[in-house]
Parts: sequence; structure tokens; C-alpha cells
Amino acid sequence: MIPAEKALPRLYMVSDGQEHFGRKQYLPELVRRITSHIPVIVQLREKHLTAKALYELSLKINGHIHDKRSLLIINERFDIALATGADGVHIPESGCPLDRVIVGFQGLVTGKSTHSLQAALSAEASGADYLIFGPIFETPEKIPYGPPMGLNKLAEVCANTSIPVYAIGGISPEKTRQCIENGAYGVAAMSIFHASDSLNNTLERFQKALGQ
Amino acid sequence: MNLHYPVLCFITTESSCPPMQAEKTLKGGAHMIQLRHKSASGSELYRWSVDIKRLCERYNAIFIVNDRLDIALAADADGVHLGQEDFPPDMARKMLGKGKILGVSVSSVSEARSAEQSGADYIGLGHIFSTTSKQKSGKPIGPGRIPEIVDNVSIPVIAIGGITEKNTCEVMRRGASGIAVISAIAESPNPETATAGLIKNMQSCLQ
Repeated sequence: MIPAEKALPRLYMVSDGQEHFGRKQYLPELVRRITSHIPVIVQLREKHLTAKALYELSLKINGHIHDKRSLLIINERFDIALATGADGVHIPESGCPLDRVIVGFQGLVTGKSTHSLQAALSAEASGADYLIFGPIFETPEKIPYGPPMGLNKLAEVCANTSIPVYAIGGISPEKTRQCIENGAYGVAAMSIFHASDSLNNTLERFQKALGQ
Repeated sequence: MNLHYPVLCFITTESSCPPMQAEKTLKGGAHMIQLRHKSASGSELYRWSVDIKRLCERYNAIFIVNDRLDIALAADADGVHLGQEDFPPDMARKMLGKGKILGVSVSSVSEARSAEQSGADYIGLGHIFSTTSKQKSGKPIGPGRIPEIVDNVSIPVIAIGGITEKNTCEVMRRGASGIAVISAIAESPNPETATAGLIKNMQSCLQ
């Protein structure tokens, strides 16, 4: 459930799953830098961490989000989201059924990854607050979700659903405008936030493209 | 949900379909099934949980989920079993409420005390003997350590790790309130009779 006073930010950052490779403090610091610049949804997706480590990391990152418009979302583990005061949970396509997550845990913003129109419709019907749809463009990470689906598919999904849709896969500030023009509410990315030496510049370009 | 002791808990392996494993051991009389699968997706875990829960209801047994409190909550399992690197047990107790079962793995007196303070209903103590089922670091603690743990907590202690039909009596006589097994049942040519044999040993040596 999206709190009435909280419109979802249009920029969405997915963590890159590498917090465990000896980079302690990296993510909290990155989140602090980004959220002090622009409202953003941060999805903590660190699948290799133990639940205990994820719990501790979530608490720490939550303390690094100073901007009230930004949200912290935990990938899959809604138990950790609830226990650490995060704003929501993001359910991967192969995750626990969304309606089971929503029943009884209505305080959380609940998102779902989708890779087809059918999955998007079903996620909306199950009560998702927002969708991530993609991959839209070619991605350097070679995320194993098949070939890029392109802007037409994005437009189709956005036209047939009424909840916010974030485009993912090969997103850059330059490609953001096209996604918005095709109906996306916002854009989600992973590597661009992590690879960037010029983070502030990247964020400014996103900000401009998103009209924020 | 109440656990009755002595308890035989079967922990599923990753080698075959967990509900099928559960059904075989439940037919042999297992009191408790713990779904443990580290590589399955959330949707698989949820589906298995629903199936195993239904089986456990039919056989009047208890169903708990290892590590994944989210799945335990979503599937309305009877409880959750947590290791030292899992979700913090005190938080898990708050989220589960009083009616559900919370188990915590420990291998020392201090971990056992801390688990009890967190609101655990039982502790899983191990590994007692050497085992091939789980990638465990360190040496087995040995059955001789069981009384020390039992004397320092007031909740039941379930012995785990390398428990077989042959050594069941030894761990029970040293104060364990039950046993948790993987291989002794899963690797048996007949899991149903293996389960019944373990239960018989567990009960008879206490008399």
C-alpha cells in the first residue's frame, strides 16, 4: 500500500548484489549520496547475504535515507522489510505469490517484477502497487530474462495497467525520455548507479529526463 | 500448536521433491517436518509449504520452515526454524506471535541461553556426530555435551547431526527431548520404516 502522503519516486535503483564482496559500508554510503540528491526507490537485492546480514544491512541503509520522499524496498523478504521498518517489498517473478504477501501485511508498498503483459495484468489483479517491466533495452549485465522487449511492449503494458510501471533493462538518462513517452511512470537501473565515477552528473541527467 | 516430546523431526533434503519426502516419513510416524531448501525460489518454497502443511495436518504433525520466515508466514506454517546466521529470533518471535513454534540452532551454552531468551520453543543442538548432510564447519560437539546444554536451559533440546538408529538411545539418555534427522531417513531405502525404527528407539530407551 502506498501511503497517501508518499507519491512514488520516478527513479528506481536496484542494488547490484555485491555487498558481500568485501565492500562493507558501500551501499549505505551510495544510498546516502543518491537520496540526498534526488528522491529514489532503493531496492535492496543482495541474494547472497544471509538473512541476518540482510537484516543488519537493511537497518543501516534505512538510517542513511534522509530524504522522506525516498523509499527502501527489500527484494522478496517481506519479513525483513517489516522487521527493519523498510517501506516495502519487491517480489521477483519466481517469488512467493503476491496475494499471500499482501494478505495481512498491508503496511508495505508491494512491487512485482514482470516480463510479459500477462504477468503484469496478473500482478495488478493480485494487488501490486507498482510493476517493474523489462528488459526494455540490451543490458550489459545480461540479466537472464530473455531478449529486450522494446518500447512497444512497454507501451502495451502501460496502456493496459493503471499502476505505476518502471522500465528496466539498459536504462540510461538518455533513454529515460523514450520510456516515459511510452507510458512508463519511471525508470529502474542497477549498474549505472554502481559503475559511475560521476554519480552526481548521472543523477542530474536522470533528474532532467524525469522532469524532477 | 504444541509440540509433544520426545519428537522426531525430519528435515527435507535438496535431492528430491520435499512433499514426497515428507509424505513417506509422515507415514512412518514423524512428528514434525522441517522444509529446508537453500536454492529453491520463493514460489517453489511456497508451493511445497502448502503441500507439506496439508500432509502434516492429515498426519497430525507439525510443519515448520527453515530460515524463510517470509514463507512460513505466507503459507501459515506452524513455525520457523532459524540458524545463527538467519533472521534474528527475537524479532521472529514478535512477528510469529505466541501461537507459533520457534526453533533455533545452537552449538554452545551461550547460544542456547540466548535462544531461550529470544523466545525459542526448542533448540536444535548440533552437530552431535559428524554428518554429510549439511556442509558443516568444525568438529562435531559430541553427545557428551548434551547434558551441559540441557542443564542450562529450560526449553527442550533436540539433537541434530549424524543421528542414526544406533546412536539415538545415547543422545536421548543424555537428556535430549528429541532428534532431528536428514540422512537416516532420506538415504534409507525405506524412509517409512526408517522413521518408525527411529521413533521406536527414541521411545523405548527412555523407558
